[in-house]
Amino acid sequence: MASIAPPAVAIAGLSKSFLSTRALDRVDLTIRRGEIHALVGENGAGKSTLIKVLAGLVLPDAGEIRIHGKVVEPHPDTVPIAFVHQDIGLVDDLSIGENVALITGYPRSWGMIKWKKVWAQTQQTYAAMGVEPPDPRAPVGTLSAASKAVLGIVRALSRKVDIVVLDEPTASLPGPDAQHLFEVLKRLRAAGTSILYVSHRLNELFGLVDSVTVFRDGRHVSSRPIGELTPDDIVRDMLGRELELHKDAVAIGAVSKPLLEVTGLCVGDQGPLSFSIASGEILGLIGLRGAGYEAIGRAIFGLSRQSAGTVRLAGVEVEPGLSISDRIARGIALLAGDRLRESALTGMSLRENLFPNPPGDHGRLFKPVDRPREARETNAILDRFDVRPRNGAALIDWLSGGNQQKIFVGRWLATGAKVYIMEEPTAGVDIGAKAVIHRILKGLAADGAAILVVSSDFEEVASLCERALIIGRGAITGELAGASLTLDGLIARSSLSAPAREEVH
Amino acid sequence: MLDRKLSDPALNEGGARAITVPSRSAVHILSNIVAVYGLLVVFTLVLIIFGALRPRSFLSVSNVNSIMVSQSVTAMLALAEMLPLATKQFDLSVGYHLGMAQMLIIGLQVQQGLSWPVASAMILMLSVLVGFLNGALVTWLKIDSFIATMGVGTLLYGISNWYSNGEQIVGMSLSDSFTNMTGIVHGLPLPALYVGVLAIILWVVMERLPVGRHLYVIGSNVRAAELTGIRVSNHIMGAFVASGFISGIAGIVLGSILQTGTPSVGPEYLLPAFAATLLGATSIRPGRVNVIGTLLSVLVLAFSFSGVQQLGAPFFVQYFFNGGILIVAVGLSVYAARRRQRAATTPKNP
Repeated sequence: MASIAPPAVAIAGLSKSFLSTRALDRVDLTIRRGEIHALVGENGAGKSTLIKVLAGLVLPDAGEIRIHGKVVEPHPDTVPIAFVHQDIGLVDDLSIGENVALITGYPRSWGMIKWKKVWAQTQQTYAAMGVEPPDPRAPVGTLSAASKAVLGIVRALSRKVDIVVLDEPTASLPGPDAQHLFEVLKRLRAAGTSILYVSHRLNELFGLVDSVTVFRDGRHVSSRPIGELTPDDIVRDMLGRELELHKDAVAIGAVSKPLLEVTGLCVGDQGPLSFSIASGEILGLIGLRGAGYEAIGRAIFGLSRQSAGTVRLAGVEVEPGLSISDRIARGIALLAGDRLRESALTGMSLRENLFPNPPGDHGRLFKPVDRPREARETNAILDRFDVRPRNGAALIDWLSGGNQQKIFVGRWLATGAKVYIMEEPTAGVDIGAKAVIHRILKGLAADGAAILVVSSDFEEVASLCERALIIGRGAITGELAGASLTLDGLIARSSLSAPAREEVH
Repeated sequence: MLDRKLSDPALNEGGARAITVPSRSAVHILSNIVAVYGLLVVFTLVLIIFGALRPRSFLSVSNVNSIMVSQSVTAMLALAEMLPLATKQFDLSVGYHLGMAQMLIIGLQVQQGLSWPVASAMILMLSVLVGFLNGALVTWLKIDSFIATMGVGTLLYGISNWYSNGEQIVGMSLSDSFTNMTGIVHGLPLPALYVGVLAIILWVVMERLPVGRHLYVIGSNVRAAELTGIRVSNHIMGAFVASGFISGIAGIVLGSILQTGTPSVGPEYLLPAFAATLLGATSIRPGRVNVIGTLLSVLVLAFSFSGVQQLGAPFFVQYFFNGGILIVAVGLSVYAARRRQRAATTPKNP
């Protein structure tokens, strides 16, 4: 392996602080020519900062970056590295060729675009990387997720560079598509391209990358060839300690009969999945951000169409064609993850936000709203959830994110549902509101409701839930319950996507 | 103190009254009162100023009655427009729709010899169909309401010109019961009474019934509305059908006032109605179209235009008036929305 040529990228002693936070602390990283080098670490480990420094978007405080042996000071316009981000930045309505031309520039003559050259240039770019070119005139929107990712890479490499940084390229790709992408990456490597591959999915690394670097808290922890590593080694380096796979508190209540039963559910690229939630249980559904597993909860609520499987509520089937309003009437509630876009009724009062669909008159559009009762219930919820300001006539716009979220949780409580699907229930809320919301959810469960927490917040699931299912590539890849449901356990399981399902004891 | 005094009645009435800002300065509260009752203040000022400048003619019974009669059609159309607009959908067909109904109510009596109740029933059935067509284009075919209703409106214009061959139909030998429908009884102009009844019905629907809240919820956030189990398409469809139905009624009333079917009548009513609805959204319930704000706007526009006219302004001033008001109204509501947005995104002190 020893070669006289310098490595593609050699970073030494790189540091960067934001105010008082050390995002990068004297890190080293060497990427050899023609290798795929994985960079892993938990959120906040410094991966994104390193990428930003390489891209020239952030100036380092100290350290040296050499590319092909030459010291460089990265600048966004001149850095000889191609970056492909999770959000690839393609324009769906434009053709493949035009998307390539957006980066390379349109070939022109006499100021006019030479379309033949635009198409030819795209085909050459693909061919140069040993990838079968698609029709350059087809709109990008017609491509599969994997082909879009490939296009993103091809487009980035069209700038005649031989170093690529891939930031979570497979986060939103279903399994077979990811395989297709890996084939392309291997072909690029064979052609001499050096790749820095940033990913949360550790088990993907085996069979793909050549070496693995682990960052933790802004520090370089280890860099080793993949052959010397096991998945557990990597997780240990990420956490900086032995895995804690047991917690002390074992307070699983007496589990009663299942309230919600899901059998063979398929929706989009998720499934088939089978699980059940008992009355009084808080079940976590956890996966990596962007993996699309929230479709499972949405299918139960009737928002996403299920393609197969059955959902039963208290033993009675919830028919696939049932509308959202019928499902709400049956006792299913869904708190959507995107608070502003999917829950907030801006410009409307707290009271209207609590009762957008006034209670007790399901389907009765012309029966006057029971205003005294509504006012009473509004005040009761504001008191119980400690909403500030405590005034049902205030506009939702005036509230902080945490107080808004209390209102949206309250909206569903007011429907008296039996099954609550909560997407990221405390994302972006302050500590106080988080505590209140967790207390409410536990109270609901104690009163006999079944709660499904769909979240990518491992800490929340570890502390709130009694049982958690780990979803990877649309399948249940692990189940943790009671004493085994720890933060470390969730991190390890979701990163590794262990194919076998652990029995709970 | 002031805060408390202001917020209590609002709580009893329960609406999203903007005056109930918690922990805000007196200036802020004052500016909110102005926002809520601004139109009422403007209306009073208009009456006082023009009443003082033209004491004998401006507030005379005949002038007030003539404004009431002529503006009743605009008011109905504005209320029709309000329903789709509550869901953030435009209905640009109301003006042409009005014209077609006005044409047909005269034509069906004069040319087909139908009695006016029969003719009215036929027209209202057609109006419901037109509303349904608008709704279907918007909800089923997902055509932008701006385009869909403009297209449908132009079709309706075609229909009334086709029916009349582009010529005026003079309403000879119309029955008295039809022409008296818009007369003045006991000093009360009947068209104003119709507007009053319609306004009360719509006020109850919008402020007191679940369906009204649903319309506002859809207007605020379609996605959230869908997620709370509101059948969004049905409601939008309903709003267009109701808008068509009211436009049809307005056309029948207009026919009774004019007693002539004129194919070119109609389009010029759209803009004043639109302006009134949007201007109404800046008051009473700031940020949303509402019944009382709409009526107040019609009155403000009509009385101030009449006043300007009595001061000797030429006829074409009305176009500057309507166009200017439309821009000002939309400008104000955009400004108010931006202010609310800013209030929502800036961190609050506890």
